[in-house]
Amino acid sequence: MRPHFDRLYRLAWHLAGQKAEAEDLFQELLIKAYVKVDELAKIEEPGSWLSRIMYNLFIDERRRFTRRRLQTVEEAQLAGEGLAAFAGNDDPLRDTQQRDKIRALDAALSQLSDEHRLVVLLHDTEGYKLKEIQSLIGVPVGTIKSRLHRARARLREILTQSGTFS
Amino acid sequence: MRDENTQSTSVQDSDEDLEIRALLKDYPVPGATATFYDQALLRATHEGARRQRKRWLLTGFGSAIAAGMALWIMGGFLLATPDLPIAEPGIPGITMTLEAPRTVNFVFASATALDSAVLTVTLPDGIELAGFPGQRVIAWQTSLNEGKNYLPLELIALSPAGGEVLARLEHKDRDRTFRLRVEVG
Repeated sequence: MRPHFDRLYRLAWHLAGQKAEAEDLFQELLIKAYVKVDELAKIEEPGSWLSRIMYNLFIDERRRFTRRRLQTVEEAQLAGEGLAAFAGNDDPLRDTQQRDKIRALDAALSQLSDEHRLVVLLHDTEGYKLKEIQSLIGVPVGTIKSRLHRARARLREILTQSGTFS
Repeated sequence: MRDENTQSTSVQDSDEDLEIRALLKDYPVPGATATFYDQALLRATHEGARRQRKRWLLTGFGSAIAAGMALWIMGGFLLATPDLPIAEPGIPGITMTLEAPRTVNFVFASATALDSAVLTVTLPDGIELAGFPGQRVIAWQTSLNEGKNYLPLELIALSPAGGEVLARLEHKDRDRTFRLRVEVG
């Protein structure tokens, strides 16, 4: 199972939205997998299987794992550290601008519906194929395309209004 | 990796669209800490095992658990003994139909109440306990009441080979092993 951990952890993050909830979700997945370890051994694509279990777990207990809309100071600091690490040091001015844009994107994503945000993050950030998303969330490809289109359009609208693309 | 129909850049894509996609592609997701996976695996092992035992108990004992009964073993024999029950000299047997679940009610009598006993059920190849697919050995801790104790086990025969179901009961430094012969017809 270990080869799939990083991808599953990222999925947990995109579903739950924050560290504590993502780790709870990941932990609960491992417990479920332990109970079904015999079944898991027979699965040809354990990564996809585990992803579906995680998604179903999230849906079943959405209130427990759901993303909190209001960030705490501590979580905001954590996000800042991540952005700093991401930005690099070659061009401080560009890095600062990029960091601001990512922050704006983060805020814009939080305004999307759960369905739209998940689809756009899985496809555009994680590189999931449409059929992979279909397999994960059980929605037709056409619906996923529509959500992706609307999510991007809504992000463009929010980011334009906020002056990010001025 | 990306799908052609959503990845390709159409003539209608604006600079903003392209920049949003670039930002999304670089959107940072914090990774797990170095020790998180190991700790999560350890917790899963403990909690998963606990839930399996709980599920077994709920499946096997049903309302008896709710009544506070902790129950036991083997093959419809009533044996009055001072400590652990005596393993009977003759081996009781049942005949099962392939892939047809059958509940076997084990009846066991103990002359005294026993706390913190450990029961280990060992299954032959081709015989499974409902709710525990693929598991040959299932063990848990429980207590025996004075007098009759009942344990329903739902067995499933997945091969015609049959064999013996073993139930080993341990309490302090004593142990007994009981056998149930299973034939598949």
